[in-house]
Amino acid sequence: MKLRMKIMSGFLILVIMLAIAGIFSIYELMSMSSSVQSLLDDNYKSIIAGKKMVEALERQDSGLLLWISGEREEGRKMMEKADAEFQSALSVAKNNLTLPNEADFVEDIESRYRTYGALQAVPLQNPSGNFDMAWYFSHGHPAFQAAKTSVDVLTALNDEAMYRTASNLKNRMRRITMPGIVAIVSALVFAFLFNYFIHRYFVNPIISITHEVQNYLKTGRPTGVEVETDDELKDLASAIQDLSHLVRKQ
Amino acid sequence: MRPPIIFRYVGIVLLFNGFFLSVSAIISRWHHQPDFLPLLYSAAITVLFGIFPLIYVPPASHINNNEGLVIVVSSWLLSCVVGILPYILYGGEFTLVNAWFESVSGFTTTGSSILADVEALPSGLLFWRAATHWIGGIGIIVFVLAVIPAMGQASMLLSRSEISPLAMKNFQYRTRKTLKILLSVYLSLTFLETILLAVCGMGGFDALTHSFATIATGGFSTKNASVAYFDKPAIELVIIVFMILSGIHFGILYAAAVSGRIREMWRLSVVRFYIGSMIAGVILVALSIHGTIFETWTGALRHAAFQVVSLGTSTGFATTDTGIWPAFSILILTYFTLQCACSGSTSGGIKVERILIFWKSARTKIRKLKYPNAVIPLRMDNSVVPEETVSTSLLFIVLYLAVVFLSTLLLTGMGLDILSAFTGSAACMGNVGPGFGAVSSLANYSRLPDAGKIVLTVVMLLGRLEIFGLILLLSAGTRK
Repeated sequence: MKLRMKIMSGFLILVIMLAIAGIFSIYELMSMSSSVQSLLDDNYKSIIAGKKMVEALERQDSGLLLWISGEREEGRKMMEKADAEFQSALSVAKNNLTLPNEADFVEDIESRYRTYGALQAVPLQNPSGNFDMAWYFSHGHPAFQAAKTSVDVLTALNDEAMYRTASNLKNRMRRITMPGIVAIVSALVFAFLFNYFIHRYFVNPIISITHEVQNYLKTGRPTGVEVETDDELKDLASAIQDLSHLVRKQ
Repeated sequence: MRPPIIFRYVGIVLLFNGFFLSVSAIISRWHHQPDFLPLLYSAAITVLFGIFPLIYVPPASHINNNEGLVIVVSSWLLSCVVGILPYILYGGEFTLVNAWFESVSGFTTTGSSILADVEALPSGLLFWRAATHWIGGIGIIVFVLAVIPAMGQASMLLSRSEISPLAMKNFQYRTRKTLKILLSVYLSLTFLETILLAVCGMGGFDALTHSFATIATGGFSTKNASVAYFDKPAIELVIIVFMILSGIHFGILYAAAVSGRIREMWRLSVVRFYIGSMIAGVILVALSIHGTIFETWTGALRHAAFQVVSLGTSTGFATTDTGIWPAFSILILTYFTLQCACSGSTSGGIKVERILIFWKSARTKIRKLKYPNAVIPLRMDNSVVPEETVSTSLLFIVLYLAVVFLSTLLLTGMGLDILSAFTGSAACMGNVGPGFGAVSSLANYSRLPDAGKIVLTVVMLLGRLEIFGLILLLSAGTRK
């Protein structure tokens, strides 16, 4: 291989090392930003929706208690408002299915809420019926608990997924910095190796050839320089040797 | 010493590692897993470092002893260094020290792991872990020399530096033929075991990685519960057979396979001692665990056979948690952790030949006490063992135990209990893998302090290079 190619190969290797490290880091950075986006979009949105559903359920439960205790109009209004809020939060959760089996969990919430809603409608449709605290603890409260538990399960699922995504982000953060560190260390080691080869195979032969020429000028006796590599320096050493022989002959 | 020549040969070894890293990257890409870029970048760095000296340094057919030794030891060390790259780039459980531990454990075929959850690793990294076993099992240099033709006299010297002198004894061929025999036996065993494991119901990927780990007598599994995960006697039987075969001198296996006279092997005292000691070990351990750990004789024999063969060949696979076995069984298994299998195989440890020489030497000394003027040579299979071989073997055993003791001392100084420290040190020195106590067969080395992990990696390398390699390297600069 010729000198130009040899020197270029050294720089080329350095460039490749740094370029791959750069591409690696950029790729990880981009995928990290998409992970952050999914963390916010997917999991956090569902968690907020879950919280809103729980709040709405609790308000509906309070409304039912008000109705039973005699504050019927206020209780009815509270239940209607909370129902609208619940439906709105449920629709957010339904349109944000990002985890495996999440659809099943949302369906379970819907089904339990339907049961709870049907139970609430009974006293509203029969105001003259006997709906006291005993009825509440035997029918109303268990249905409320069941609906709330199903929402809690969905929230926990999203919480867990968010924790996993956050842990993954930490790992990705490391993957962004590590190629840089590896590239720096590798480049330093490589620069040392490159420098060693340049000295050994370029600088040392040039020094030897120079000494040889100086020696020849002083003594008039050619001694010959050994160049290990098969490149232009070997040609130069050989040419100088031929020249010295020619001058000596003349 | 000519550093460029060393760079050139070590460069070739790095290219070899780069090839396996590239294969791992392809596997990762195939499965669309997140370890693709770490593996690709590691492969690129390794190949670039490997190729650079080839551009500058012209080939040399002659290398001297010092250069050969430095090339062999540097190849091991640098392979371990590039081996950490995919791990640290991937992250997860891999800190720098953990990655170094896993890499050294892989290349030295120890099989000790710091991973609490192996199954969480993507397939590319799992393949790389198994590949480090496979590359290290036969010896990095042997692999390279057998694959790359025309290295001239350099190959003879390098193989002499890599293969233990005890192992070279049973090869009556020229270097090139010896290397080809080693490689052909290695490849054939790997291929056969992969097929048989797949037939027994293991998935293709698991069959290949477990074959890599068995033939190299390594022990890295792709499952947290090691071989216990599969819970299939047929799979365990295949692994037992191949662990035993991998523990026999490859030259003997080759001769038996070529001539078709398998029974001839039994004539060799080394093989008789190797198999005989294992049968005795299985019986003793089965007697000990029957009624205490396993209710049935079938269960006791099944697990005793697997564990004795696994530790006695320095593989380190597990089918059960031996940490809860009775003290008697633990002591028997610790003996096998120290002894291991035959030289010329992929096994670590003191090796059967040296143990045999030790006992025969002891018997000779006792007879000499009876007949002080008698000349009683030490014989093995009707040939006299040179005094030099006997003294070197005995010195090796003493140094080996001294290293285990020193490592135990250091680990206990770091707060580890004596059982875990001693058996962990013995397991790392013998390249076995699991010890007992905190580092038992179904546990791992993750709870050890970083300093302890570094001590054990030095012990693994000392065990793999058979102590003298590293000592000679350290004294290479002062030797004339």
